[in-house]
Amino acid sequence: MEGMNNKLLNVNLSNEKISVNPLDNEILEGFLGGRGLGIKLFSDNIAKGINPLSEKNLLIFSVGPLTGSTAPTSGRFSLVTKSPLTNTIFHSNSGGYWGPYFKRCGYDCLIISGKFKIENKSYILLDGIDNVEIKDANDLWGLNTLETIEKIAKNEGNSCQILTIGPAGENLVKFASIMNQGHRAFGRGGVGAVMGSKNLKAIVVKSGNKRFPVKDKDHMKKLNVVAIDKIKVVPTTSQGLALLGTAALVKVINFFGMFPTKNFQSAFTGTEKIDSISGERLREKYLVKSEGCYNCIIKCGRMTSIGKMSGKGPEYESLWALGPSLGIYDLKEIVQANYLCNEYGLDTISTGSTIACAMELQQNKIIDNPDMKFGNKKILPEIIEKIALRKGIGNELAEGSLRLSEKYKSLDLAMQVKGLEIPAYDPRGAFGHALNYAVSSRGACHLTGFLVALEILGIPKLIDRFSISGKSDLLMLKQNQSAVEDSLVICKFVGYALGFEFQARFLSTILDRKINITDLITIGERIYTLERLFNLREGFTKEDDALPPRFLKNPLTEGPSKGRLVPLEQMLKNYYKVRQWDENGVPSDELLERLSIKSLV
Amino acid sequence: MIEPETFKQFKITGKILTDHRYNTSHSGNISMRSGGKILIKRRGAMLGYLEPEDIIETDLYTTDSGIMLSSTETEVHRQIYLNTDAMAVIHAHNPFCVILSLIEDEITCLDAEGIYMYRKIPIIEVENPAGPTDAAREVPKVLKDYPIVVVRAHGVFAKGNTLFDALQNVTGAEQSAMIRYYTMAPGKRLKRDYSTEKYFSEW
Repeated sequence: MEGMNNKLLNVNLSNEKISVNPLDNEILEGFLGGRGLGIKLFSDNIAKGINPLSEKNLLIFSVGPLTGSTAPTSGRFSLVTKSPLTNTIFHSNSGGYWGPYFKRCGYDCLIISGKFKIENKSYILLDGIDNVEIKDANDLWGLNTLETIEKIAKNEGNSCQILTIGPAGENLVKFASIMNQGHRAFGRGGVGAVMGSKNLKAIVVKSGNKRFPVKDKDHMKKLNVVAIDKIKVVPTTSQGLALLGTAALVKVINFFGMFPTKNFQSAFTGTEKIDSISGERLREKYLVKSEGCYNCIIKCGRMTSIGKMSGKGPEYESLWALGPSLGIYDLKEIVQANYLCNEYGLDTISTGSTIACAMELQQNKIIDNPDMKFGNKKILPEIIEKIALRKGIGNELAEGSLRLSEKYKSLDLAMQVKGLEIPAYDPRGAFGHALNYAVSSRGACHLTGFLVALEILGIPKLIDRFSISGKSDLLMLKQNQSAVEDSLVICKFVGYALGFEFQARFLSTILDRKINITDLITIGERIYTLERLFNLREGFTKEDDALPPRFLKNPLTEGPSKGRLVPLEQMLKNYYKVRQWDENGVPSDELLERLSIKSLV
Repeated sequence: MIEPETFKQFKITGKILTDHRYNTSHSGNISMRSGGKILIKRRGAMLGYLEPEDIIETDLYTTDSGIMLSSTETEVHRQIYLNTDAMAVIHAHNPFCVILSLIEDEITCLDAEGIYMYRKIPIIEVENPAGPTDAAREVPKVLKDYPIVVVRAHGVFAKGNTLFDALQNVTGAEQSAMIRYYTMAPGKRLKRDYSTEKYFSEW
């Protein structure tokens, strides 16, 4: 395929064998790259029921045909594995520069299998084209992510890009992240624990010089001019995200009564408190500069500092999870807690939400830990450290909210789906978004079908957030589009300014042949369906397409979403129907035939 | 949430602009200045069918998180408020004003009401007519001296003391533009051209 290397790099950690294999063009045509390519290779190579933290699990990093191109926001790349938190197939996605650097080394995909011996903890170094080494990491083990980067950069030079785990990944915390250059993350689902289980500390890349010339350079240039003009025109991309980062959403989501507090017991905060933790306040008090990924003009990243401490963020979700979700409205504490999570390599959403679950357990006197109460900001640094190091109560929390609540026979207090903690949009305030939480193949995820764009932000047009009419169909479309974005790979924020037709046009120009929107949507549908098939094979059923009972039985008592409950059952039936799945959520034979994929069941 | 009386003004104004086909189903935006804030239509909402949730509050002086929800042209509205006496602003895509902007450099009013209200309606040209950046810079300069301005190939920005005042400027300018267009269409000489009298051209 044009725009790709058509090569995959295999690194077997058990026997330290490194090999390069050609990538089947048929797979690339059917799944593009990134998430799609990873999902296909993963489901082809993983046996049923493996333990995600065993040597049988794989880590598959992939780039796409747009990665490293001149298309705006094309710095992203994907990771696919089996999650120790959810036991589902799991995809994650990150930006920065690692992806383009890796692609320029001449590969599209890195498959890591097996496991280093405990005494041989190592890191992988890709040093330009055709030069892959395994290097000793015993002296790096135990270091946090920033210390690791500093030490590796000392040895390998400052021009390298580094993926690393922190102590949380080493200690197999079920929601540990892989940190990308210290501040960005492959978050959610505990992908860092998978890397830790392999005794693999880091993956370091020094850019090769491989280039991907586009035949019609002139057309690519024109396409970029039009795309950049549009990104500059739309206030969400040119002003909102650029000036305030994703934290711009704090006041917006609260305005609609969807900003959860105290483990989703409420979803509305008064003006004074919300102002104190807003994106505006973050900018005013702690922002040092904005930062963008490779070839990005939006630059939503926030480089911040507090005294001698500095770092990135917090993003909207992190700010919420480590703040109002715990009843905490002290921005300084929240920013510092976010730095800590990044240094330990913890997913901020699951960290905050699992602590919130514990706080509600304490509120209901199910556990006896008086410090674990909503609003107690002093406990935050200590509890984050305990989780990362699995010390004391931290060891229980390191398993995530589902297992924590199961242990105390209080499953209803875990705000999760399929084990993945719910992000910062109360499902009672946007019904289409609620449906996505229930059905997403990786658990409660806001990224696989972000209907908040339509239901709240009015992109591309506003729809009634409390209606269920047409929501299943719209969600299917958005999930399929999202799978394509993750496979090209391109940032979702660019979709706020550019219609999906731009992605088809960029890809057509790179491939030098016409690809239309319908072709792309079919690819997205194929990827999404294959994820569903994998999860069904692993034993997931329609019973897992659910929401915590709080959202179905307990209406919100204040704010603009007051009195609302999610009408999930009806939406779910429609969703299965429009997806061509049967009443048990199993994809039909006709669908599999149309998408040219085989059942895994 | 917006006060009911204020919302009523937004709803009526939005409905009239839509019913008179000054906008497409989702285009156009209207706002008013209120206590150091701007109340403005939400992006993606339909002007003709506004609900209270569709009116967004954003800061008058700086870009805040309201920008995530407010109209694409919010910055133009903000600069008009900061640089003119406007208390309300309407942006619409008046068809006859847009047509004349493509063939003339200003719209000279021929009808009595137009002459009384505007005498002439200025037209400006910007590099990117669909984008708010150039318009935010150029439109306020003209609205310092005129109640309404046409951005070539795009539409009008009108100011007023109230939303209804700005609405009259939008509808009045369109009426004058339509009369001028139809008057010119047959290519015949005018019996009396008031626009050549009383220092009209110097207005």
